[in-house]
Amino acid sequence: MTSSVYASTLGLSAALVLLCAVVTLWRRSLGAIVKVLAVQGAALACVALAIGFHEHDVGLEVIAVLVLGAKGVVVPTLITRVVRHDPTSRESQPLVNVPASLVAAGALVFLSFAATRSVTALEPTTAGRLIPFGVAAMLVGFFALATRRKAVSQIVGLLLVDNGVALVAFLATAGVPVIVELGASLDVLLAVVVLRVLATQMRAHVGSLDLDQLAELHD
Amino acid sequence: MTAGNFVVIGAAIGLSAGVCGATLPRSSRVIAAAVLVWTACALEAIAAIHVLAGGHPISLHSSELLPITGVDVVLTPLGAFFVLLVAVVAVPATLHGIGYACHGLDSRLAAGALPIFITVMLLVPAAGSVATFMVLWELMALLSLCLVLADHARSEAARSAGTWYAVLTHTGASLILVSFLVVAAHANGQSFTALHATHLSPGLRSLVFLLAVVGFGSKAGMVPLHVWLPKAHPEAPSPVSALMSGAMIALGVYGIILVGDVVLGSGPIWWWLVVLAFGAVSALYGSLHAASSADLKRLLAYSTTDNVGLVLLAIGASGLFDATGHLQLAAVAMVAALVLLLNHAVFKAALFLSAGSVQVAAGTRDLDRLGGLLRRMPQTGAMFLVAAAAVCALPPLNGFVGEWLLFQSLLHGAGLGSTAGDVAIPLAVAALALTAGLTVVAFVKAAGIGFLGRPRTAGAASAVEVPLTMRVAVGLLVAGCVVLGVVPTLVFPAVERATRSALPKISALSLSNGVRLQLGDLRGVLEPTALAVALVVAVAGINILRRGLVHRPAPRLAEPWGCGRELQTARMQYTATSFAEPVQRVFIDVLRPVQDVDVTHAAESRYFVDAVTYRSTVDDGIERALYRPVIRAVRRWGLAARRLQPGSVHRYLAYGLGALVLTLIALSVAR
Repeated sequence: MTSSVYASTLGLSAALVLLCAVVTLWRRSLGAIVKVLAVQGAALACVALAIGFHEHDVGLEVIAVLVLGAKGVVVPTLITRVVRHDPTSRESQPLVNVPASLVAAGALVFLSFAATRSVTALEPTTAGRLIPFGVAAMLVGFFALATRRKAVSQIVGLLLVDNGVALVAFLATAGVPVIVELGASLDVLLAVVVLRVLATQMRAHVGSLDLDQLAELHD
Repeated sequence: MTAGNFVVIGAAIGLSAGVCGATLPRSSRVIAAAVLVWTACALEAIAAIHVLAGGHPISLHSSELLPITGVDVVLTPLGAFFVLLVAVVAVPATLHGIGYACHGLDSRLAAGALPIFITVMLLVPAAGSVATFMVLWELMALLSLCLVLADHARSEAARSAGTWYAVLTHTGASLILVSFLVVAAHANGQSFTALHATHLSPGLRSLVFLLAVVGFGSKAGMVPLHVWLPKAHPEAPSPVSALMSGAMIALGVYGIILVGDVVLGSGPIWWWLVVLAFGAVSALYGSLHAASSADLKRLLAYSTTDNVGLVLLAIGASGLFDATGHLQLAAVAMVAALVLLLNHAVFKAALFLSAGSVQVAAGTRDLDRLGGLLRRMPQTGAMFLVAAAAVCALPPLNGFVGEWLLFQSLLHGAGLGSTAGDVAIPLAVAALALTAGLTVVAFVKAAGIGFLGRPRTAGAASAVEVPLTMRVAVGLLVAGCVVLGVVPTLVFPAVERATRSALPKISALSLSNGVRLQLGDLRGVLEPTALAVALVVAVAGINILRRGLVHRPAPRLAEPWGCGRELQTARMQYTATSFAEPVQRVFIDVLRPVQDVDVTHAAESRYFVDAVTYRSTVDDGIERALYRPVIRAVRRWGLAARRLQPGSVHRYLAYGLGALVLTLIALSVAR
């Protein structure tokens, strides 16, 4: 793989990760959001694969396959099952409306570029320069977590944060050890399972997946 | 076996007593724990006596017991004196606890915590380094808190008292910790000898001293940090009150001597004027509230503040004389402080234990519901009267010796040339005199209303004498009052050695000469034994003369306390509230009693009255003025903070996001 192909593949995949994060803020249909999440997982796997080829690191290539399996297939499938119970469900009234969310996402991307200047200056490689994308994806995920009402959107927000962190890890360290990556993936898988159970219980008890209903539990 | 082994084995036995108390079945746990505690007290006392009798200070180190710092035990003569003091209170208190057990001391928690509390108190004065001291100090605070809360399931007041005590004692402990850390940061090591060897700037020294005085003052019950005393002492089981009032509070004073005299080695005059002022205010405030309290144990708690005030007065005077170069006077004042503490431990423990006996026998400690107990509980009553006379500093009892020494040192110290001292000392003498008078009012009330007259309630009327163990416990302490009053010179060698260890500048000190107290170069001699003998002879003589010379008319039967009237009810007697009324009226601006008169008129006409109810309560003015506003402010803040957490998941997530974004903005701007 020549360095120009490497650079453009890496850049495109990283940008796709961020783009997917922003798109989840834009789309209202929960089914579509989960699909976007699957695309993001695939893009993340692509980043790992590109770095693996470039560095001739077999371990990283294995991780890329694992990431594709976990974040591109298994996790989205699990979430889709929650959505399937209620196919028309939409994120109809987010706490911050869609245009404002997109403006905020723009501001967060700007902030992440400003805040990571010292990190990119420290590691001026092709991968290192892309670190702000990972931070931005994480911040956008956090924003989705804080402003979206549905439980499914919350799970997606959490996964966006996790994908952002994973992207930064791949770009900054050329891949963490397999065992750490495995642990982190398992963690996320577990969190998704727990949240799924929670969402099912919530629907059974509260009658909807709207988190604001939970505020009644206070007091 | 060396003296150090006694300390270690004593501590181990004390801890095993705690284990026994917590694990054995209910029938045997209190007795087993008490026997082990006595053994521990005896061993620690042997070590302390060894040090006081002229042996080398005991010094032990173990690096295994505490991580990083290790445990240092250094038993100096000053510490040894306090170990003895704790042991003197602990033995009768646990003996009394055997009879008292079924009234809140036989739960696993209480029976386990009490022996460990005593063991820790025996070890606090032997701590040789900051880490050891603070660990023991905190243990002491936590265990005493457990014991105050022993009755928490039944009594709301106990829970409230526990909260007050916990907050004040931990505030104090944090101040003490800061004070020690400031010195330790500049010192080469954290043992007290290393701390003594450091050179600090005068500003830092003053900061350390003031923090320590306030911190230890909160434990000692110094005004204005005394507010936990009148809450915690009444609610704790009586043996625990006796230990807390007699021994734990003395350790607060030990802390002030430790920092002021041992670690910092004296200081400028104004330090000691501050201590003197705290002492005078505590003494006056405590005795005034004692005079107006109707609850027997609350009265004793305020009296504790009063006595601690006297001790602080003596320590302040000692420091003042030391700072102005009058070493002989400084020594006399320090001896007075230690003697006052020892006497206080003995008579106050006796009084608290008697109050416990009264509570067991009559079911209440409210003086307005007692009365006539001397006839029903003759031995407990007689012992209470003797102990009350000791508090009032009547010769030939022990209270007199301490106050005599304090008066002597103050009177000799007036007019020595320093302006501040010349103003402060006469004021201190005046405060001392007023305190002595108010104390007499308080204890005439306690003894007269509680034990004389006629019973005011059925509970008081049906009171019977308490079990033998409880009477023996009080009896031991009362015997101590008499012995320490008649032959105080018994303990003077120990007190003098402790004083020299507190004030190392003093080379030789000998105040006792046989049975006679002689203040060295100063004019002032007391012959307590001769005084006692003269008193006994005079009383006996007057009695014999009266019987022999005065013609006695034939006895006439009349109702007791009837004053010649025919119809007599218990409600016609003075009550504690009415006895204190004149005092309340004189000090109305300080006490601010809340009085409430309700008149119910008859239905037929307003000219006829059905019933009149009168209520008068005196709550603590300092608590009202100083603490309530703070509590209200904290509560307001707490309620305002609740608005931050409305239960919305999104709000909490937004906090996280906001914090993260702000941090990132700060990062990118700061560079």
